Amino acid sequence: METREPREQIEISAVINDHAFNGEVPARMLLSDFIRHEAGLTGTHVGCEQGVCGACTVLLDGEPVRSCLLLAVQADGHIVETVESLAGDERLSAFQQAMKDEHGLQCGFCTPGILMSMAAAERHGYPAQTAEREMLGGHVCRCTGYVGIRAAIRRCWESGPRAERTETR
Amino acid sequence: MTATEQASMIGVRLPRVQDDRMLRGHGYYVDDIDEAGVLHAAIIRSPVAAGRLAAFDADAAREAPGVALVLGPDDIEPLVDAVPSSWLLMGQQITDWQIVSRTVRYVGQPLGVVVATSRAAAEDAAELVGMEFDDQPAVVGVPAAQAPGAPLLYPEVGTNQVGQLHVGSPVEELESVFATAAHVIDLTLTVPRISHSPLEPRGIVAEWLPATRQLTISSSTQVPHLVRQEVAHALRIRVDQVRVAAHDVGGSFGQKTTLFPDEGMICVAARMLGRKVKWIEDRSEALTASYQGRGTLSRSRLALDSHGRFLAIHADLHGDVGAFSSSGTGGTGPFQVAGLMIEGPYRYEKAGATISAWYTNAPPTAAFRGYGMQEGTWIRERLVDQAAHELGLDPVELRRANMITADQLPHVTHTGIPFDNGDYPAALARAAEIGAERCRPSSGRVRRGVGLASMVEITAYAPTFLQEMFQIHWSGWESSTIRVNEDGTVTVFSGVTSVGQGIETALTQVAAERLGVPPEWVSVQLGDTSTATYSNIASQASRALALAGAALWRAADTLRGRMLALAASALDTTPEAVRLSGELFESKEGATVSWREVAHRGWMGWGRDDPDRIRLEETVDFDPPSIAFGYATHGAQVAVDLDTGKVAVEDYWVVHDSGVVVNPLIAEGQIIGGVTMGLGGALHEQSTFDSSGQPTATSYLDYIVPVSEDVPDIVIEHFESPSPHIPGGFKGLGESGTIPPPAAIGNAIAAAVPEIARHLTTTPFHPSRIWTLLDEAGLTG
Amino acid sequence: MKPPRFSYIAPRSVEHALEVLAASEEDAAVLAGGQSLVPLLNMRFARPEVVVDINGIAALDTIDITSQGVTLGATVRLSRVETDPGLRASMPVLPQAASFVAHPQIRNRTTVGGTLCHADAAAELPALAVALGARLHLRSLARGTRTENAEDFFLGTFSTTKAGDELLVAAEFPRHDGYWVGYDEVARRHGDFPFVGLCLALRMADGIVTAARAAAAGAGPRPVRLAALESELTGQRLTSSVAEAAAEAAAAEVDPPTDNHGTAAFRRGILRTLVRRMTTSQAKQEAA
Repeated sequence: METREPREQIEISAVINDHAFNGEVPARMLLSDFIRHEAGLTGTHVGCEQGVCGACTVLLDGEPVRSCLLLAVQADGHIVETVESLAGDERLSAFQQAMKDEHGLQCGFCTPGILMSMAAAERHGYPAQTAEREMLGGHVCRCTGYVGIRAAIRRCWESGPRAERTETR
Repeated sequence: MTATEQASMIGVRLPRVQDDRMLRGHGYYVDDIDEAGVLHAAIIRSPVAAGRLAAFDADAAREAPGVALVLGPDDIEPLVDAVPSSWLLMGQQITDWQIVSRTVRYVGQPLGVVVATSRAAAEDAAELVGMEFDDQPAVVGVPAAQAPGAPLLYPEVGTNQVGQLHVGSPVEELESVFATAAHVIDLTLTVPRISHSPLEPRGIVAEWLPATRQLTISSSTQVPHLVRQEVAHALRIRVDQVRVAAHDVGGSFGQKTTLFPDEGMICVAARMLGRKVKWIEDRSEALTASYQGRGTLSRSRLALDSHGRFLAIHADLHGDVGAFSSSGTGGTGPFQVAGLMIEGPYRYEKAGATISAWYTNAPPTAAFRGYGMQEGTWIRERLVDQAAHELGLDPVELRRANMITADQLPHVTHTGIPFDNGDYPAALARAAEIGAERCRPSSGRVRRGVGLASMVEITAYAPTFLQEMFQIHWSGWESSTIRVNEDGTVTVFSGVTSVGQGIETALTQVAAERLGVPPEWVSVQLGDTSTATYSNIASQASRALALAGAALWRAADTLRGRMLALAASALDTTPEAVRLSGELFESKEGATVSWREVAHRGWMGWGRDDPDRIRLEETVDFDPPSIAFGYATHGAQVAVDLDTGKVAVEDYWVVHDSGVVVNPLIAEGQIIGGVTMGLGGALHEQSTFDSSGQPTATSYLDYIVPVSEDVPDIVIEHFESPSPHIPGGFKGLGESGTIPPPAAIGNAIAAAVPEIARHLTTTPFHPSRIWTLLDEAGLTG
Repeated sequence: MKPPRFSYIAPRSVEHALEVLAASEEDAAVLAGGQSLVPLLNMRFARPEVVVDINGIAALDTIDITSQGVTLGATVRLSRVETDPGLRASMPVLPQAASFVAHPQIRNRTTVGGTLCHADAAAELPALAVALGARLHLRSLARGTRTENAEDFFLGTFSTTKAGDELLVAAEFPRHDGYWVGYDEVARRHGDFPFVGLCLALRMADGIVTAARAAAAGAGPRPVRLAALESELTGQRLTSSVAEAAAEAAAAEVDPPTDNHGTAAFRRGILRTLVRRMTTSQAKQEAA
């Protein structure tokens, strides 16, 4: 919504996990804080506010981005997806289940960001190698040592249609 | 008694009970707590490393929008008492720490707090606080603290030395061996300060209700009972006015193991306002102002005879304690343990360590996963490999020839540590075999090498008599409660805590195993002082599974017996004639009564044998008779790029024994996570300061933690030597993975590039450091 | 930390953006990718009065490929630079260098303009711009459009000639027909800032270098045009002794920093290694 003059409070209209949010946000509010405390979706976590650790990763119009490096106002007119959107009522997503089976999480703090990056990797049809090297490379985990997460990626990709793809990016 | 049909739950790779919730984004960390009625805090911190706060003017800050309260040192100091330290170093004069002081001793030291309607508003106001300092030169690092004429952090003490302790063989005997030995390896080995850096920083929500005069705290902590105890002490209120709950904790690794000064200030603010006050640490604070770990400088020697037999080992170990010796498991404890455990799995004629600790103008050092054993292993295993190198011996054979054998256990070290059981040479041999399979050749400008490191580690810490003997005020005993509820569900409480390591799942398995019920019936609930039994050490020192598990093992056994007796009474038969099949107790005659019905009857008090024992709940307090000792040999194969100094760990393997393993999935996860943390210390991590004491690793761009690319798929093999002292036979392993990696990797680099071996004395082995050594050796081309 | 207070505007046209920048008297910050600006806001190192969000200006989000070269609009994302088929065909060094920048989650937001204006001397794109002689197009309300060579644009650490009322609208990378162009770097891990990066362009005829262009990232307070390296290579065959001499020349003409990540000597060593590796690799390609 374009205004002629700069303002400190901005009206926004955004969609988060199929829910519409309409309201005013402070210009300086980060998207991560908006998601967590305005939208009440605390599954997205804040680990550094510098864009390095990846815990805050969400999908913006289907692309994985750092919500700590976006202003809430930048979600205006866009679609945000967070970890709460991944599982069905009864079942976890395939990658979530693989993470559980392969012990890909311990304290769980970095996990939602990784889940969102992998959700994007699956949607884009990236091969497992790209998911492991490029997408997981953008995440810090202090607990697991990554071996279980890589095993989850391999398990999930092997059992899905992307197993046949051999292209590398 | 095996009156149930269920397959054993011990040794089962059960997926973790909390994973569904975590994967769905339904973790409940302290910053997730609903913010209705919450005020937000920002901590006012010192920008200088040393000096005195000369002026603190909060007038403008108090007028800022949204501000509820601004407190400075003069406001806080009259309201608080100092918090006592738990384990002193011999000679230590300062035995407590202050919530606030006008004497500044580190950049980031909390000086006050702003409470406002939002964190951003609190930070806006904090910027308006006017502070003036009388700066002094900063003491940065141990050598500066030791230097004659160094500025004193505590002039009243007259030195920057905290204290000194010598353990093991007397100094004269050690020196006599070093003076006459055929070979002496003499290295000064350094482990820098590092940051625990859990992904979730610290955080606290504190609420004071004037109506009830109760302080309710949610905190990202490993030690809710200790926080409760220390808050009550600091705020001069009764312990029973304080409740502390740790919900989900996003990692800790030994950092969140005490009350912190800033957290104390939040409690003071909450009490003053009669409100709920939240403070969440940000990453810069976490990296620079929160407690750090390690920080040792050791002149270390190993004496050998002409055949390579170890005659003596000694470390003159100096630890960097920082601005003050913190409480809980912090302070000088890690340095003392480094010295006590210096010998590792080897025999010597003489062995000892002289342990000193020094105050410096840096954040305090605290417990860090591995608790001095990483530092001790680094010293010892580098000495051993350097000895092999200088004597022209095979490092595996040199270790094997000096290793304590299985039939030489139990073995008491020269420092008084009683190793229990196991087969150290077998782990070494297997690790050597794996190394032989996995070693790869050098090629072109890439040199490759394999290195091993062996260690013995303290787990299941610790007998209360030992704590009393050394006046270590940590409750070494542990307690578990198991309760069959009126509806038949099973709840387990304990004093240990969850920080993501999977203890809930492991205790679920123990409870299910001994009670004889499916794991789905069991809920393990930890972390709330209202329901958790007293434990001021909780999940540290690789003790949670072993000790809470041991207590639970016995408690569940007893409760199973009582349930069977109650069922027998309901079925009008004897307990021996009853078994649990699914949800039903069945008698030999085919009569049944449901588990749930028996539970209900139990709570009604009906049909019981014992007149006095009614509640369907059993609590066992377990005081281990001895420390349990895990052990391992790790191996690393590295590739060193002679042109860039980059070190890649291409292969890593672990041969390990922690007794009976409850959940191999979790056990392996702990080892892999620990190895990764150790690898970080080996290759990347250091908390650095400039000469004025300013921290210079203030973000993840400068403080480098391992990412996936750094870590190969790790091979793990278990031996199982059950603990002779722990019901269930468990030993601990949470810290195990972190202990050997710097030594294994350092030894591998030394093997790959023997020309620089003698100079591989200081971690991290980041590219610039290795390149510089390579360049000095004329290898960079 | 949380950002300090600021007001925000998201203009839909370059003209509106320029009006705001002109009115803000040096107190405005342009928000493009945000991957550099927002961390600075989050640490309160940046304290603008106004944040001007240019992500909604469609005119800036264009890739223009002609026989003269490639013009990248200021808000083109590095993820797009990495994957655009037209760029892969016409100027593959751009996608190649983009693939080194951080991780996909960052590249999805990082922009060409933002990266160039942030002017981190260790970043890939500024070094590429200097090596390839890119021309940067800047506009202001008061002075209209001006065009500057990349080499002149970068002044020092996080410092450019862009005035407070100016907007970088596009970066034009000229074609270097007949040149082989490559980029390589040495970083701790894939995606980390490089210790040193090198963009090297060589025009070869019968195995002899007839022209060379080179610039380094991470070797100084700004991207360094490696003139001595260029002249050492020009007129030479790519033998190993020429590679050595070139490596020495490059190391001698830079003044790299010493910081937490490495010493100046180390960075010189990395630059030498990159020169050797890239010239040797090109020599092999020539022979093949």
